[in-house]
Amino acid sequence: MALLEVSDLHVEFEVHGGWVQAVRGASFNVNEGETLAIVGESGCGKTVSVQSIMGLIQTPPGRITRGTAKLRGQNILGGQTADGREIRGVDIAMIFQDPMSSLNPTMTIGAQIAEPLIVHRGYSYRDAMRRAQELLEMTLIPDAASRAKEYPFEFSGGMLQRAMIAMAIACEPSVLIADEPTTALDVTIQSQILDLLVDLQGKNNMAIVLITHDLGVVAKIANDVAVMYAGEIVEHGSADDIFYRSAHPYTVGLKSAMPTNRPGSEQRLAPIAGVPPDLFDAPPGCGYAPRCPYAMDVCESTPPLDFGVGHEHQSRCWLHHEDCPQPAAEIHRA
Amino acid sequence: MSQPLIDIRNLTKHFQRGHQKIRAVDDVSLSIGIGEIVGLVGESGSGKSTLGRTLLGLDRKTSGEIFFKGSALPTVYRTGDFRRYARSMQMIFQDPYSSLNPRMTAGEIIGEALRLHSDFNKADIATRVEEWLVKVGLSIDHWGRYPHEFSGGQRQRIGIARALILEPEFVVCDEPISALDVSVQAQVVDLLAELKRSLSLTLLFIAHDLSMVRYVSDRMAVMYLGSLVEVGRSDRVFFDPKHPYTRLLIGSNPEPDPEQERSRERVSSIGEIPSQVDIPAGCRFANRCPHAMDVCHQVNPALQVVNAEADERLIACHLYP
Amino acid sequence: MEATYSFDRIEPLARQVTRTRPSLSYWQDAWRRFKANPRSLVSLYIVMALGLFTVLGPWVWTIDPTAQDLDQISTPPGADRRARVVEPYTRWVPPNITLEALSPSRLAVIGEPTTQAVRLAWHPVVGASGYRVYRGIAEPNSPDALGLPLTDIVNAALTGFEDRLDLKPRTYHYTVVALSTEGRELEGFATLDVPVTRVITTSEAIERGLSERNGSALIGDVVYLDFHPLGTDYLGRDMLARLMHGARVSLFIGIVAPFLYVMVGILYGSIAGFAGGRWDQLLMRFADFVVALPFLLFMILFKMVFNTGPGESGVFAMLLAMILLSWPATARLVRGQILQIREEAYVGASRLLGAGSMYLIVRHMIPNTMGVILVTLTFAVPGALFTEAFLSFIGMGVAPPNPSWGSMCNEGIKTMLTAPHELVFPAVFISLTVLVFNLLGDGLRDALDARMRSAE
Repeated sequence: MALLEVSDLHVEFEVHGGWVQAVRGASFNVNEGETLAIVGESGCGKTVSVQSIMGLIQTPPGRITRGTAKLRGQNILGGQTADGREIRGVDIAMIFQDPMSSLNPTMTIGAQIAEPLIVHRGYSYRDAMRRAQELLEMTLIPDAASRAKEYPFEFSGGMLQRAMIAMAIACEPSVLIADEPTTALDVTIQSQILDLLVDLQGKNNMAIVLITHDLGVVAKIANDVAVMYAGEIVEHGSADDIFYRSAHPYTVGLKSAMPTNRPGSEQRLAPIAGVPPDLFDAPPGCGYAPRCPYAMDVCESTPPLDFGVGHEHQSRCWLHHEDCPQPAAEIHRA
Repeated sequence: MSQPLIDIRNLTKHFQRGHQKIRAVDDVSLSIGIGEIVGLVGESGSGKSTLGRTLLGLDRKTSGEIFFKGSALPTVYRTGDFRRYARSMQMIFQDPYSSLNPRMTAGEIIGEALRLHSDFNKADIATRVEEWLVKVGLSIDHWGRYPHEFSGGQRQRIGIARALILEPEFVVCDEPISALDVSVQAQVVDLLAELKRSLSLTLLFIAHDLSMVRYVSDRMAVMYLGSLVEVGRSDRVFFDPKHPYTRLLIGSNPEPDPEQERSRERVSSIGEIPSQVDIPAGCRFANRCPHAMDVCHQVNPALQVVNAEADERLIACHLYP
Repeated sequence: MEATYSFDRIEPLARQVTRTRPSLSYWQDAWRRFKANPRSLVSLYIVMALGLFTVLGPWVWTIDPTAQDLDQISTPPGADRRARVVEPYTRWVPPNITLEALSPSRLAVIGEPTTQAVRLAWHPVVGASGYRVYRGIAEPNSPDALGLPLTDIVNAALTGFEDRLDLKPRTYHYTVVALSTEGRELEGFATLDVPVTRVITTSEAIERGLSERNGSALIGDVVYLDFHPLGTDYLGRDMLARLMHGARVSLFIGIVAPFLYVMVGILYGSIAGFAGGRWDQLLMRFADFVVALPFLLFMILFKMVFNTGPGESGVFAMLLAMILLSWPATARLVRGQILQIREEAYVGASRLLGAGSMYLIVRHMIPNTMGVILVTLTFAVPGALFTEAFLSFIGMGVAPPNPSWGSMCNEGIKTMLTAPHELVFPAVFISLTVLVFNLLGDGLRDALDARMRSAE
C-alpha cells in the first residue's frame, strides 16, 4: 500500500454565475521515501489538488465534492484524521513557491521554525529554538546560529526556501508537499535546493510530492510522475515511463515543446496549438481533445477512462482502448 | 567582419541608492552583427535586464558608448531621440501583465506607435493593426478587447505586435517568455523566430532559461554580477563551457531526460550570488569558484579572445591567459 | 453494458471555444460590479434624490426661507394649523367677581382662552397681600416647579390677570400663589389647566389671504394657516424651504470645494510625481507646509479679510479656505500613484515608441489613477460637508439669515428640548448625506479596486 493515496478527487469553485471544475477525478499515489512529481501547466489543478489534501481550500467558494486522500489507509481529506488528530504540518508538511509571502515578516526565522515544535510536539521554548538551529544547519544555511535570530527580509530567496524547508521538516513529516518550490529561484540555487530535498529525503525516509511545470526538474528528482491537464491526471507512471514510453498525446506534446540539449541534433520545437479549456464550461469529453492531433469522435463525446499501458503506468486516453484503430505506439516519438 | 549593427563599448550603469552604489552593468563590451540572435543569460543580479534597458535609452548610462550602425547613440534620451530611434530599435517586455496599459484595447495598444508617428492616416493605421493582429496569431475581433481578457501568451503577442509594427531593425527581448507556460513559451518563441526571418531582425534575447537561449540564439553571452564572463557560439558555449561560472550554470540546468540526469555529476556550488553592492575586488566569481587562485582575488580578468581559429570564444578568466 | 465508440479521426481545433462574451471596458466592468452591491446602489439613488431635492426643490416648494410666519413659531410637523377668526383684541379689566360666580373652583378662566389672551380670576386668599401667577407647560408637581412667573400682583384686591405673553395653541398650567406682605410665597396654591385655541383677527386673515371667502372673513370662520410640512423654526421660518436652500449652500460647498481642490491636487501631484528627483522633493515639502497650517485659524482670518457682513453669505470665504488648505492630501495620493505607474512597463514601452511626457501623463498615467481619484473625491465630499456644517455651527460659516444645514443645527440646539424637530431635521440630513457619500465611495472603491490590479 502506498503511503499517500489520493483517489478520484473532485474539487470545484463557485464563481459569478456557476462552478469551475478545478479538479475532475484525480488519482495519484506516493510511496514511502519516494518522490512523486505532479507536472502540469497553470490552471491544470495541481495546486488545488494538494491544497485540498492539506485542507487549505476555502469553503466557500471551494468545495471538495468527491474523493478520498488516505495517509496509511486513513482518510485525511480536510487536514485531520478521523479522530481529529492534526496531521497538517505534522505528518504532511508543505512548502510554497514564494517563501517571502509564506513567512511571517515580524517573527524571526528561528521562532518560526520553532513554532511547530512547540505547538505540535510540546517542546519547551529553549529546546525548540535549539532544534530550530539544528534544522537550519541541516538545510545548509551557513552561520545558522546568528541566522536564526534574523528576520525574513534579511534572507535571500534561496535561503528563505531553505528556512521554509527547515520549518516543514521540523516535526519529521512522512510526506513533504513542495508546490513549485524552485520556480522563483535562479537555476544554480534551484539545483542546490533540489539536491537538499533529495538528501533530506534519504535521511528522513520522507516521501515528497513535488508540483512543477519544469520537466527538467522532474527528470532530476522524480521517481514517479503524474501528468495533469485540465483537472485530470492524464498519465501516471515512473519517470522513465513518462519520458521514454509516453502514453498520452499531451505528455508527448509537452516534451516536444521544451528544448532538449543533445549535441549535434537539430531540434525543432513543436508548440502545442491552442489553449487549455475553460473549466467553467467543463468539456464533455477529453479535455485535451481540441488540441490533440490524434483526436477522434469518441474523444469529444465521452470522457476517457484510465487504461493500463504498462507496469504501474496508466494513461487516460482513448488511444489505448482495444478497439482503437490507431496504434498507441504511434504517439510515442523518439 | 562587416560592421556590427550594435557595438557596445565599455558600457557601465550604476544606480545610486542612498550611499550605496549598485554596479548593475560594469564595463561591458559586446558586438551584435546584423541578422544575429544573441542570447544574454544570467541569474538575478547579473544586470542583463539593465543592459537591455540601457541599450535602448530607458536607463541612462553612466559611461561607455553604444554604436548603432556606426553612429553613437545619445547619452541622455529626449523625446525626440526616442522618436528618431523608434523605427530602428524596440523592446519586447517581460511581464505580460504590466507591459500593457489595462485601459487600452489591443488595437489601440498596437496602433499607438503608428499614431505617434504622424505619417500614417487613420485608414492606414487600421489596416496595419489588423494585419499585425493576424501576424502574431490573434484574430481581428480581438481588436476591441482589453488586456485582462487575454491569456498571458496572447498578451505577449500583443506586446510583440506593438514592438514590431514600426519594423525596427534591432529588438531587445527582455525575458519575453519567462512568465508563460511551457507549451505557450514554444508558441511565442516560434513566432519570434518566424518574425525574425520575415522582417530580417537582429535580436538580443535576454533570458534565464539556458536551454531556450541555446535553442533560439546564434551566439550566447553569459553575465555575472554586471560583467560578461563568456561569449561565444551558443552550441559551443553550452556543450563546452569554459568559464567556471558558465560550467556551474550549465551543470545546474536540469535536462528533461532522466537517464542523462542520473548519469550527471552533481555540480557543487558554494554559497549564494552576492549582492551588487558589495562587489569584491578582483574576479567577481572568485569567492565561489572551485579553481580560484591568488591572482583571481586581486585582478579582475578582462574579456579576451580565446581559441580564435576553431570557435571564437571570449572569456574573462585567469585560467585562460 | 458494452458501449460502442466511434474512433473516427477528427480535425483538432475544430471546436475551439471562442469567447463570445461582449468586451467590457474598465468602466463598464466597474459599473457592473457596482450595481451588484446593494448598498452602493441605494446610496447612489439617495444621492440622486438629494440632487433633485437641492436643485429642483426650491422650484417646487416656493416658500421664502426667510419669511417669518409669526403665528406658527417652532411648530413641529403635523401640528394643528387651524385658527378661528375673531374680533380684534380689546382690553380687559379684571372685574370684581362675586365669590358665588367663581365657586366651587378657586381659579377659573374667564371667557374663552385663545392665543389672543387668556383671562384668569381667582378666589381671594385670606391673609394674602398679593398674588403671583405662574404659567407652566408641564404639570406642576412641586412648589419649586410651577413654571414661568408671569406677574406679581401687589394689590390684594386684584384677583384677576390677563396673559398675553407669547401664547401658543397648547395647554398651559397656570398656578396662582398667594404672597405675604414681605413678598414670600404662602403655602397652598391653585392650579388650572388651560387649553388655548388659536385665533386670528379678521384683518389678518384677509391680509394673508387665508380666508376662503374671497376678500372677506366672517367671525367664527375657521381658516387654515400656512402649511409647513416639516414645521417651523424659532423665528417661524419654514423648515422645508430652509432645508432646501440650506442644501444648496451645503452641497455646493460640499461638492464644489472637493472637486476644485482635487483638481488642484491632481495637477500638482502629477507634476511632482512625473518630474521626480529634486523638483518632486521641493513640491512635496511645500505641500507638507500647507498641511501644517491650522485650518480653523485660516478660516477665521479669511472671514475677517473678506469681511462678510449680515446679508452676505460667507460661502466664498469658506470655499477659498477649503480649497487652499485641503489639496495636499490629494496631491500626495496622486503623486504616489504616478510614481508607481511611471515604473510600469507600458509607460516605458510607449516612451520607446516616441511618446512625449505630456502624452504619457495624459494618455497613460492619469487614466490609470482615475479610480483612486474618483474614490478620493467621493470621500472628500462628506468631509467638506461636515467641515462646512461644523464651521457654520460655530458661527464661522454662512451668515444668517442664509440657511445652511450647519447653521440650522446651531439654531436648533437652542430649542432642542422644546422643539426638537428644529435640530433633528438638519442633523438627519447632514448625517444621511455624509453616510450616503461614504457608502458611495466604498462601493466605488470596491468596484474599481479589483480592476486597478491589472492581473486577472
